Amino acid sequence: MTNVADATPVSGQVQPPSRASIRGLIAQTEIDLRLFGMLVALAAILLTFNILSGGTLFQPTNMVTLAVQAAGVAVIATGMVLVIVSRNIDLSVGSLVGLIAMTYALLMTDWMPMLGMGADFPFRWVIALGLGVGLGALVGGLQGYIIAYIGVPSFIVTLGGLLSIRGVVWYLSSGAAVSGLDPNFQLIGGGAQGSIGGTLTWILGLVGCLAIVALLINGRRQRRRFGFPVRPMWAEVLIGVVGCAAVLGVAAFANANLWPEGLANRIATEQNWGPTPEGGWRIPTGFPNPIMLLIGVTLAMTWMANRRRFGRYVYAYGGNPDAAELAGINTRWTILKTYVVMGVLCALAAAIASARLNGATLDVGQSYELYVIAAAVVGGTSFAGGIGTIPGAVLGAFVMQSLAYGLSFMGVNSPGQNVVAGIVLIVAVGFDTFNRRRGS
Amino acid sequence: MQIRRLAALVGAAAVIVTACSTGGGTAAPTGGAGADCTVGVSWNNFQQPRWAAHDQPNIKSTVEAGGGTYIDADANLSNEQQLTDVDTLISKGAKVLILLAQDNKAILPALQKAKDAGIPVIAYDRLIEDSSILYITFDNVLVGKAEAAAILAKVPEGNYVLIKGDPGDPNASTFLPQGWDEAGLKAAVDAGKIKILNGPDGTFTDAWKTEKAQSNMEAIIDKAVADGNKIDAILAENDSTALGVVGALTAKSYGFPPLSGQDGDPANLNNVALGKQYVDVWKNANELGKAAGAAALELCKGTAMASLTLPDGLLDPTVAPTAGLTAKDFTTPDGTVVKSFILQPTPLTAENLQLAVDGGQITKEDLCKGVDPATGPAACK
Repeated sequence: MTNVADATPVSGQVQPPSRASIRGLIAQTEIDLRLFGMLVALAAILLTFNILSGGTLFQPTNMVTLAVQAAGVAVIATGMVLVIVSRNIDLSVGSLVGLIAMTYALLMTDWMPMLGMGADFPFRWVIALGLGVGLGALVGGLQGYIIAYIGVPSFIVTLGGLLSIRGVVWYLSSGAAVSGLDPNFQLIGGGAQGSIGGTLTWILGLVGCLAIVALLINGRRQRRRFGFPVRPMWAEVLIGVVGCAAVLGVAAFANANLWPEGLANRIATEQNWGPTPEGGWRIPTGFPNPIMLLIGVTLAMTWMANRRRFGRYVYAYGGNPDAAELAGINTRWTILKTYVVMGVLCALAAAIASARLNGATLDVGQSYELYVIAAAVVGGTSFAGGIGTIPGAVLGAFVMQSLAYGLSFMGVNSPGQNVVAGIVLIVAVGFDTFNRRRGS
Repeated sequence: MQIRRLAALVGAAAVIVTACSTGGGTAAPTGGAGADCTVGVSWNNFQQPRWAAHDQPNIKSTVEAGGGTYIDADANLSNEQQLTDVDTLISKGAKVLILLAQDNKAILPALQKAKDAGIPVIAYDRLIEDSSILYITFDNVLVGKAEAAAILAKVPEGNYVLIKGDPGDPNASTFLPQGWDEAGLKAAVDAGKIKILNGPDGTFTDAWKTEKAQSNMEAIIDKAVADGNKIDAILAENDSTALGVVGALTAKSYGFPPLSGQDGDPANLNNVALGKQYVDVWKNANELGKAAGAAALELCKGTAMASLTLPDGLLDPTVAPTAGLTAKDFTTPDGTVVKSFILQPTPLTAENLQLAVDGGQITKEDLCKGVDPATGPAACK
């Protein structure tokens, strides 16, 4: 009860340690400046493209497309953070996504019907997804075992994975594209019918808002209990209000994305919704399923990284491998597990990619490893180990994808997109390194 | 040191092979299609399914039916590997080389080696810029022409989207668009009948990647919707990009405006049967393989390039070169004149899908997956 904040009026007057500068005020809110900076960068990119496109870019439909396109890479990037934090690398993710995507496609078109599980078999998509996740964990675990227990450098093992797994994809289908997935499985990829709808989106927004408030209250209570300094009240309220507004704003924005007219009319006739209302059917799509998956993965991974023993061990090992080993952490088992997690995440990303495509081609997932590593690194993960956050990597994926999408919206071709992405990667990390050096 | 020794060895092998091949050349006229005719094929990759599935078996069976021996190597997309492969094929005794070049410039040292050894070279499906070669391919300009002709007949005016392939591939940047223009695309644009929504040149797709084509197409649909434009037709240069376009149209529930493609990939043919792709221009690779095998046997006999003739009845008449069965001059983009056999592509729509089944390109089961037999195309009845 001796903390400074309690004594301070809500208006946030000058406190002893901080100057009356913007920097001081931001410091009091304890906002992660790096994350905040990336949000600003993301907003700046979108704003620039919006102006360049004459105000047509910043619309619900477009933002939903962008988010869905970023989802696959973002999902894997959450795991890449753990891998890079523990001073390893995984170059095989793209090939593994390709392998699992092809497996899903073949399972649902050839293998399952052969075993008598035809199109009408219940929960085919769940079985397929489960097998894919299992395969991902298995391949990831195998690579992790070679890295952690046999001691072959991760760069080499996963480089081998990159080559050999892509080769296996070829053998699975002789290089041919396979298409025709289970209709339920296709919903994982999003689209109007693969979204959770308006009502659920609003409910989720409210739940998110309440969760933020609850976390703030709980955090303040806990800090008090253990005598830690707490944020000034104005900062708590500000974070709560801004956080809530952001969550609800995103929900409202997603709900402003409507079902395409043709689809709405077709389904309306099929299901006898009655006469078309004036101005046509206006059915909000809400959050698409890939984004729900991404939100779930981000929350789970953040929780695992920050609150679970496994996550803490990863950071401890990354910060100082010898110290971690001496402290009694089973480092090998920990490293192996990071690769199992990667495999599972690859399976989820492969589900999104193949569902979006309604099948798989030989090149699904190609160069994902580069996008994923770029996303993690732009998101503040350090190759020196021990540093990196999962929300940062997700934001990094969105920054990279918003550039690609914006450029392609403007009609810039792929070579141009690659040039920009490469430069942004270097500039972002350069800027970050500069800041870190100045900070220390 | 070791490398130099190896080079000497390869040189020696080449000399020996030269000696053999001249020997074979004189022996052939007396002994019919030579039993000592070894045809070496260097593939740039087996990652695209068509080479191993259609081209290779047809070359092999044609060569072997003529009493020759077939050997080959796959360079796995590497220029360097392909140079080594050609060395190996020469040293194994190839008397004719069929090259599917990974890169038409990087292959030149290998071509020089073959020339030094007196081995005739067939540039298979991909041009090599050198006057000594025989070029066997499908007319890529005709492919583009067939794509655009089909779509233009269906949608003579309206808003078009152009999806092109890899910007570094002359097929994507030059030949196919030239065919589109020859079919009347440019005239229709100039007359104001057709508006191209994604810029005058359309959108290129890195490495012809399906996923890239999909994300590009999604952005194009978003832009069209934002600008209040309706997409009436889509010209995609090949099947991998067309597959991405179908993915984008599905994700956006946009419906399926007439869409083109080429290659006759099973997934795309299935889409044609399902009404998601309007036309798939199919290069019957079986016929291309037969033509190359037959030409190689002729070259083995020592026939000069200029008087090469393919056997009558070997090729399907709808695919056989329009210029006849004797090799004709072909002027390359760089102005080199080479001898050539240029085969005709086959545009497949819902009406004539049976051709693909008959040609062994796809099984009826794969073609008609998910197709309602009552309303589907004739091939699925």
